[in-house]
Amino acid sequence: MKTLKLLFVALIVSFSTQINAQTADEIIANYFENTGGVEAWQKIEGMKMSAKVNQGGMEIPLEIIQLKNGKQMTVINFQGKEIKQGVFNGEVLWSTNFMTQKAEKGDQETTDNMKRQMHEFPDPFLNYKDNGYTVELLGKEEIDGTETFKLKLSKVPMIVDGIEEENVSYYFFDTENFVPIVVQSEIKAGPMKGQSSESKMSDYQEVGDVYMPFSMTQGLKGQPGQTIAIDKIELNPQIDDKEFEFPEEEAVETTIEEIK
Amino acid sequence: MKKLFFAIVLSIGILSFNSTAQTAETIDASRLFGSLTARHIGPALMSGRINDMEVHPSNPRIIYTGTAGGGVWKSNDAGTTFNPIFDDYCQSIGAVTLDPNDPDNVIYVGTGETWPRNSVSIGDGLYKSVDGGSNWIKMGFENSERIANIIVNPSNSDEIYVAVLGALWSDSEDRGVYKTTDGGTTWEKVLYINQKTGCADMAMDPSNPNVLYASMWEFRRTAWSFESGGDFSALYKSIDAGKTWNKIHNGFPEGQLGRLAIAIAPSNPNILYTVIEAEEDLRKGLYRSDDAGENWNQLNNDFGITVRPFYFSRIVVDPKNPDVVIKAGLNGSISRDGGKTFKSLGRMHSDIHDIAFDINNSDIIYAGTDGGIYRSWNGGTTMEIVENLPLSQFYHVSVDNAEPYNVYGGLQDNGSWYGPSSSGGGIEARDWNSVGAGDGFRVLRHPKKNIIYSEMQGADNVWRYDVDNKLVKTIQPLPVKGNPKLRFNWNAPMAISTHQPDRFYMGSQFLHKSEDMGDTWTIISPDLTTNNKSKQEQESSGGLSVDNSGAENHTTIFTIAESTFDENIIWVGTDDGNVQLTTDGGQTWTNTSANIAGLPKNTWVYHIEASVHDKATAYAVFEGHTHGDMKPYAFKTSDFGKTWTNIITDDVKGFARNLQEDYVNPNLLFLGTEFGLFITLDGGNSWAKFTNNMPAVAVHHIEMHAGTNDLVMGTHGRGIIIIDDISPLREITPEVLKEKLHFFTSKPTVMKDQGGFGSNFGTETQFVGQNPSTAAQIKYLLPKRHTFGKMTFEIQDMNGKVISTLGAGKSKGINIVNWFYSIRQPKTAKGKTFSFGGFTSPRVKAGQYKAVITKGKETFEHVFEVVYDKHSGLSAEERELKFNTTMKMYDMTEELAYIVYELDAILDAVNKDNKKLISSLNSLKETLVITTGDNYVGSAEPQLREKMADLYAKIAGSYDKPTSNELGNLSIIEERFETAKKDFAKLKKKAKLDDLVLKSFDEFIKE
Repeated sequence: MKTLKLLFVALIVSFSTQINAQTADEIIANYFENTGGVEAWQKIEGMKMSAKVNQGGMEIPLEIIQLKNGKQMTVINFQGKEIKQGVFNGEVLWSTNFMTQKAEKGDQETTDNMKRQMHEFPDPFLNYKDNGYTVELLGKEEIDGTETFKLKLSKVPMIVDGIEEENVSYYFFDTENFVPIVVQSEIKAGPMKGQSSESKMSDYQEVGDVYMPFSMTQGLKGQPGQTIAIDKIELNPQIDDKEFEFPEEEAVETTIEEIK
Repeated sequence: MKKLFFAIVLSIGILSFNSTAQTAETIDASRLFGSLTARHIGPALMSGRINDMEVHPSNPRIIYTGTAGGGVWKSNDAGTTFNPIFDDYCQSIGAVTLDPNDPDNVIYVGTGETWPRNSVSIGDGLYKSVDGGSNWIKMGFENSERIANIIVNPSNSDEIYVAVLGALWSDSEDRGVYKTTDGGTTWEKVLYINQKTGCADMAMDPSNPNVLYASMWEFRRTAWSFESGGDFSALYKSIDAGKTWNKIHNGFPEGQLGRLAIAIAPSNPNILYTVIEAEEDLRKGLYRSDDAGENWNQLNNDFGITVRPFYFSRIVVDPKNPDVVIKAGLNGSISRDGGKTFKSLGRMHSDIHDIAFDINNSDIIYAGTDGGIYRSWNGGTTMEIVENLPLSQFYHVSVDNAEPYNVYGGLQDNGSWYGPSSSGGGIEARDWNSVGAGDGFRVLRHPKKNIIYSEMQGADNVWRYDVDNKLVKTIQPLPVKGNPKLRFNWNAPMAISTHQPDRFYMGSQFLHKSEDMGDTWTIISPDLTTNNKSKQEQESSGGLSVDNSGAENHTTIFTIAESTFDENIIWVGTDDGNVQLTTDGGQTWTNTSANIAGLPKNTWVYHIEASVHDKATAYAVFEGHTHGDMKPYAFKTSDFGKTWTNIITDDVKGFARNLQEDYVNPNLLFLGTEFGLFITLDGGNSWAKFTNNMPAVAVHHIEMHAGTNDLVMGTHGRGIIIIDDISPLREITPEVLKEKLHFFTSKPTVMKDQGGFGSNFGTETQFVGQNPSTAAQIKYLLPKRHTFGKMTFEIQDMNGKVISTLGAGKSKGINIVNWFYSIRQPKTAKGKTFSFGGFTSPRVKAGQYKAVITKGKETFEHVFEVVYDKHSGLSAEERELKFNTTMKMYDMTEELAYIVYELDAILDAVNKDNKKLISSLNSLKETLVITTGDNYVGSAEPQLREKMADLYAKIAGSYDKPTSNELGNLSIIEERFETAKKDFAKLKKKAKLDDLVLKSFDEFIKE
């Protein structure tokens, strides 16, 4: 029944777009409606994605965990060893160093910027107003051979090299079915600062009561990117809070021992 | 049910698609380019012409530049590197201005460069961004052609002044100073002189926004002459925010004036500087006023101050010191005594157009030149170039047959160059080779020999460069007894022959032919131009300042095309509108231009493309911008020029300079215009702009590489841009568009064995050109973007065994998936650290493979072939040995991984009291994998896993067959492995864990 409703909505809307100008909020409302409804989205407490990246022939399995309280991590499995990247417990951001395989904290500025957007799970457009975000419809634009609505999403500003900067992403919603198919944002920090990144989403599939993209291709704007293929998305997974905690170093003496 | 939904949506999409495709007699390519993407290879080492510099008023890290032909670039790191922010729009820039009230967000860009040399492009209006350059809106001024300044009132963002210099080659009422008081909704022209006189420079008193200065300039260019100056050039001042304007000439020279610059000292707005182009040489030069323009005193008329006013009329005053003044010029000049005396700026590329001082430290100076941006840290004494601005302005491009092929071309004021289309680690500055001096234009490689022809302006020198022996000689045709003066275009045509490799053509007003690479010349035509004497008086060109550089040479041949079918068929086009044809090797000539309906007389023949599909067919591209005619013109003849058909539609934007015919599909044509690349799939019934990583840059010349099917573009502002392998475009027909998924045919791909070393350090801030993919590329067409439902992409062998899973392309139109010929890396034993050799993915054998796309319920298959690289010279047996050895070690690596898994499981399960067994198991494990240390300098002694994986990686990664040394090493590893396996079997038996449930080998590998 839900699928019938989806079809109906998609058709009606694709006709009505010819006549009526859309507002940003209508587009967002349609997006949530077409992907399961706001209520279903609000119920999501967390998700665990099992994915694969193929980097020049090397298959890398990933697990991406995101929770409503902002906790998140990416776990990479190399040769049976788990390497955690971008682990955030709401306060501390850390990653496993590839060389030492020990946990190291992220710099404070990046951590602070994580905190500023920790409430946007599971989708930055859900409750965007409560999070202090704003949206603006910039018009229609063609991307991937497809007509889209271009929406500007302004999040809470971030701090870059000590200076507060706007944190803006551009979302391209397919005019036919109202799901975002591309996100572009300016790279704000690091040597690539000033260039634009691009993520393309596809393979929207049903997960519980909502639809989510199972394929994401990330790279620089307008250039071929790297695809993350998601095999499985588990909603509301049980994750021990300890997994997100920074493992305090207890091996100082051992290190000295090793040097001797 | 869900699938039904997808099917319905999909079919609706397809139906509507088909109906549009069938009703029109065209193939609309506009949404079909998909992931066919352009790549930029630069070069950036000589960069290109800069028109304007703009600094952020409070953040010294942020700098903008408006370039002559390469758009707008922003630096976030005080000029160390720049990023383009204006790629979708006209790339010829006059002025970039930040709103001083909101400089982080509000940017204005006035298009159309304002130093109007012969080769300048055109603008198409004023643009505004309110988000720091992410998005742009057009603010009008479509016909302004060139905008010299934009000034925003520092206390009122809605009050903006725009200086329109206007059209270069025609009258225009759009010139003058415009003002808005409502943020650009409405504009009022507040200063207008006449159709010939535009606003060349403008300034606002920083302490009083009602006080404005505007320099008005009477100027005009034709293809054959330039006029600077007249009765109407003048310097004006307004003290009432533009309502009224008065000339401020007290102390100015008598007579006519030319181009004037105006600058206010920011630290003392009463101090003004102007540089004046006047009738009398003595009275030209720098003038200063200390009373806000009431009175002027001449200070200096050095060469550096008076040189080429049309090109260099810019003065910039130090923001802190009113006596420190920099004047743009051939070298740039700086005065520290209020303009009385000057010295040259430090050595950098000549032709300095604009200067910017750092807002806090006047020792830091940025200079915009004909060769990019330079930085100085010591007040202009020494200058260093910004290395990542690929703004090179090519006039022409050609390619050779090397592997990888090289790209050749000449640049505005930056000589002639060639460089590779791919190089280890990307195409770097060091990959480019200089093959000519002065301004460079056409560069051609001899078809058989390692000899390069290049030239400088007006064919003053035409070089023949023997690359192997490093021998250079000049070979330009010289007049001999009975010849009149030879007239060569600034950008003189040369051509080689596909029939006679040593043949070389040059065009003056005559067609010159040499059969011995330029040593001896024969004239094989009469004067093929109109020979209009009134267009041959270049010595008086320039107006108040004579400017006879050769740039205005006219009534010359501009393009030469010898037919690939018949060497006696030669097409010649002239800059004054003649399309001449000989079919008898030059004995008789016919001017066919009168047969072209709809083409204004004397429109410049920019390019003739002799068809490779039909002897009688040719394309001619005309452009009339030097007559003020900005329309694109391209015509096709199929009867040797007796009749011509227009192939341009309203889809094409910008005047056109070049056309490239596809070598296979005669209906596939590529058109280079002033605003980018346009492609037709239907012989010119419809055109679509190509925008995938392709800026709206002027495309001066296009070449197609016959071996790779790459489209190579010489752009005038963004260097060389290549679209790799355009062959999918050949296959798009109305029938193909009806398919649910269409695989494009593919040639066998070579698994390249060639490697090398890229540079590591010292080039961090340099531009690096992108390489083409060396992967097997599977290309297919989707009629609609895939957004809902699963779509997977597998590479399988011919028995259906999955070899690799890749991300599928989902775009509407052409999709390209890269496969690097690899099997996934082996599952490697778990140790304390990584075994880096274990990350190696081995290559498949040469042969046929299948790409299998599953989209919803449907499956689509495509068989393709990969072949070995001949360069490595291995026999079939040696390939077999290499593959089998690699896979043997791959299997050993996985077998070891399974043993370690079993061992770990037993260690976990075994009775903890059995200390002897645990100790034996641990001892064994310590010989199998590393169990201590880290992945860097704390690494432990390598064990069996490491030794096995390292040898595996060494053999798999080599181009060569395994050596006897490697095989000898392998046998030691095998022996050790056999012993380990026996030892493990014994311990396993001793553990007596018959109930222990373990994964099977297959389960373990696939998990």
